[in-house]
Amino acid sequence: MLELLQQGFGAVFSLNILLLMVIGVAVGIVFGAVPGLSATMAVALCLPLTFTMGPQAGLSLLVALFIGATSGGLISAILLKIPGTPSSIATVFDGGPLMEQGHGVKALGIGIVFSFLGTLFSIAALMFIAPQLAKVALRFGPHEYFAIAVFSLTLIATLSAGSMVKGLFAGALGFAVSTVGIAPVEAIRRFTFDVAELNGGFAMLTVMIGMFAVAEIIKVAESGRHAHQGKAQSVSMKNIKGFGFSLKEFREQLPNAGRSGLIGLGIGILPGIGAGTSNLVAYIISKKRAKHPETYGKGNIGGVVASETANNAGIGGAMLPLMTLGIPGDTVTAILLGGFLIHGIQPGPLLFISQGPLVYTIFAALIVSTVLMLFMEFYGLRLFIKLLDVPKHILLPIILVLCVVGAFGLSSRLFDVWSILVFGLLGYVFVKAGMPAAPFIIGFILGPMAETNLRRGLMLSDGNFVAFLGNPIAATFLGLALAFVLWQVYSALRPKKSAINEILRT
Amino acid sequence: MATNKKKELLIGIAMLGAGLGYLLMTIQLPRHAGIDAAFVPSLLSALLCLLGVLQLLSVRSCAQAVTEYHPDGEADSPQGGSDIKTVVKTLALIVGYIALLSPVGFPLMTALYLYLQFIVLTPVDHRVNHLVYALIALVTAAIVYLLFREAFDLMLPSGLLPF
Repeated sequence: MLELLQQGFGAVFSLNILLLMVIGVAVGIVFGAVPGLSATMAVALCLPLTFTMGPQAGLSLLVALFIGATSGGLISAILLKIPGTPSSIATVFDGGPLMEQGHGVKALGIGIVFSFLGTLFSIAALMFIAPQLAKVALRFGPHEYFAIAVFSLTLIATLSAGSMVKGLFAGALGFAVSTVGIAPVEAIRRFTFDVAELNGGFAMLTVMIGMFAVAEIIKVAESGRHAHQGKAQSVSMKNIKGFGFSLKEFREQLPNAGRSGLIGLGIGILPGIGAGTSNLVAYIISKKRAKHPETYGKGNIGGVVASETANNAGIGGAMLPLMTLGIPGDTVTAILLGGFLIHGIQPGPLLFISQGPLVYTIFAALIVSTVLMLFMEFYGLRLFIKLLDVPKHILLPIILVLCVVGAFGLSSRLFDVWSILVFGLLGYVFVKAGMPAAPFIIGFILGPMAETNLRRGLMLSDGNFVAFLGNPIAATFLGLALAFVLWQVYSALRPKKSAINEILRT
Repeated sequence: MATNKKKELLIGIAMLGAGLGYLLMTIQLPRHAGIDAAFVPSLLSALLCLLGVLQLLSVRSCAQAVTEYHPDGEADSPQGGSDIKTVVKTLALIVGYIALLSPVGFPLMTALYLYLQFIVLTPVDHRVNHLVYALIALVTAAIVYLLFREAFDLMLPSGLLPF
């Protein structure tokens, strides 16, 4: 393993990849920091740039964007009191008050350092768990994959914020949209209306760009003209030693950080839900366990630590199912999946055997990006603050142009560009209807996986359903999925709101 | 508060409509004995319709709860800054942009689209600065076009321009 990791670092430390990663982290931080732009958007928009790069360079760039954008959200959370991304909502609770009390630099320093530690922790966990899990997953056949896909689908649909009916509907609709095109196994055309471009179905990237980027632009068109863009206050970096906080404060926060890191990692691993949920959960638990819970929300650094450690620990967590099973842990890793596929790499247990060096290059890229993020975000802070002031009515149209370029770049056809507009409209309707978009994406990606493996599994067992239940791993996951749905229905019927919903609604 | 109930009802109708539409298309798929390509779509359309019905029922049965329920907070206040005119203008611009992308070409259309979209999205309390907007639009279009063409080998449609 060490040898492979060494090779990975060797690849990452070549001048052009390192340069790409510096740019990636910087662009990522900007996307994270500007409210309305997200990590998902950053990775989706930059994916077309990697088409002509080799897989090592391309994936290193995407990973750098992912890390930069996840941690960049804390800048606007603390300075503007608006979370830059959903993953830093809880950072606002204490980061905002700290800023008002004049401890802005301390809050930023703590946030950045614990983002760094959270990310490193999760990468370490990823590096140790992933190869082992891949070994187990190598033995998985269609039965297991079908069960895992179904389990993941129910998890995301029921855990997503808001009403369960809408979450399930969004997931099922995503699945339905994925059935457009040539059917697996049988190869008959479904729902193509004799449009040749639809034979291959909708490209994953057009769905993502539409739902997340184009929809955002339409949303801003609706509210942006009357909204006031907050002006970011700058912070003075004079007389700041290290990262602006004392060693004592650092030591006091370690147990909190450890707990939050575990929460972030665990929630990150679960398919479909990620940093957007874990930062809130970590914050609530940290508050409950704190010595002085009443100071939370009034400027306790513990709140910033919990939120930022947890959201960044989700990075390694979300990469875990992606790399070992080919199942994305959240929407960003869903696009990363697209990135892998574009370079002809199928994530899954075989990745660790056939592409060992590449896997460790990705690990190395994750670690290097994390270190880059630590220094660039803290010492380049003033630059990023300036970028927060770029007016939205200038920024978003330019992003739409980049969406068009990205969609066109997929296979040089205008059909994909029209698709992003269609999915943009759908995404906007989703926002208006209070329907979560993440289950739709996960349904769209996992749907074909579930269907293909169902058909293959049935072929293996001569059309016998019982084989799915006879297989211990498949039966366990199917059972868990069923239990989960029943438990959700039960808690929805009870007048008292379930704990998870309460957390999600905070 | 009645508007919220009406909205949830509309959402339910849309959900059921989508489910029924999908079901209708699924029925037209060629079938054969056993599990075939229409199996999963059939399951899905049943699920979609069921969820649509559940949504409608939930609006009917717990009107009280619905009025208290706020769909996903985030910048979604129908009474507040809802600005349908700007949305329609934006959509029209995007449609025009994509439709003319191939005949007119990426550089010209992008510059034009950006310039117009900047104007449409300018906040009410801001002044429209035509010169700056035109400059940003031209420079962005040129940079994006050349960057992708030269550095990333992506042949964006050049259209009317000879290069």
